[in-house]
Amino acid sequence: MKINVIKSVLDASDALASVNRGRMDAVGLTCINILSAPGSGKTTLLEKSLPMLPAGVRTAVLVGDLQTTRDAERLEHSAAQVVQINTGNGCHLSPSQIERGLDALDLTAIDYLFIENIGNMVCPAAFDLGEHRRAVLLSVPEGDDKVAKYPTLFQKADVILLTKIDLAELLEYNFDRVYDDLSRINTAAPVLRLSMRTGEGLDAWLDWLIAQRPGK
Amino acid sequence: MHEMSIADGVLRAVLDAAGGCGGRRVERVELAVGEMRLVVPEALEMAWQVVSEGTIAAGAELAVVETPMEARCRRCGRQFAPRIDNYLCPGCGLADVDILAGDDIILKSVVCDVEQPSGESKINANASDA
Repeated sequence: MKINVIKSVLDASDALASVNRGRMDAVGLTCINILSAPGSGKTTLLEKSLPMLPAGVRTAVLVGDLQTTRDAERLEHSAAQVVQINTGNGCHLSPSQIERGLDALDLTAIDYLFIENIGNMVCPAAFDLGEHRRAVLLSVPEGDDKVAKYPTLFQKADVILLTKIDLAELLEYNFDRVYDDLSRINTAAPVLRLSMRTGEGLDAWLDWLIAQRPGK
Repeated sequence: MHEMSIADGVLRAVLDAAGGCGGRRVERVELAVGEMRLVVPEALEMAWQVVSEGTIAAGAELAVVETPMEARCRRCGRQFAPRIDNYLCPGCGLADVDILAGDDIILKSVVCDVEQPSGESKINANASDA
């Protein structure tokens, strides 16, 4: 006997992501999901840039990691609230982990909530967590061919940050190759070039962040 | 290996639908997978075997077909079939789209182990939240 169904398998996951988004909308906070390979500078970006936001802007970070609380410890001085989520062997954060993360935060005291996803260019791209925007990092040492190799990650990005650009000359990085690949995959997301060492591009990142607040 | 989370979702949907099987074993599961969900079929198959163990769907064959991609240009409204690595709108030459199909995983049917020579019994359990 065949039972025809036509039901989205992702309903439960997407429904929970919507619940998360609803909770964040209710208190008017803006949630940015940050995705990239390991070592491309997600933690450093937050560490350096959050203290540069205008005075009075309240930030929080949900930090995903397989093991250790190292990133959370690094961020303690940059954000008012930091919650570590250890996934064990899980290769991406899930909406239910974000739900528990939200439970652990004082949501009424947050303007921006950053989700530092697990370092991985595949799995995190496939899950909506309830965020409002997705920021994707690509660091120069990873190579200029990665947009074409991981198109879905970049297709779903709202902003793309090319990081560690101070190494571009040394590594003979071809920015044009990145832009050329993006011209077929995502022409809507702004591409920002950053160096956390020199501080280059941080202003553009902060401007982008501020522009994401409702009413801005 | 996000296939484990996906297999979990598949199992939930299958067991829901298999209510119509009257508790009989599930023989076959038909799944339409969108390319943008980045599923490796072999990994999903392995994950399926793990999560379905001990349920009425244990050992059920997982038949996976790929859903063709479909997108609508946010700039000019044109509907077209992109590729996983190319979302250029043939109308305006920009890559700024809403994905209409290919970013989903749909359970299409569940086959139960029942002798029923007089054809198929169809229960359309269209998801209320679809």
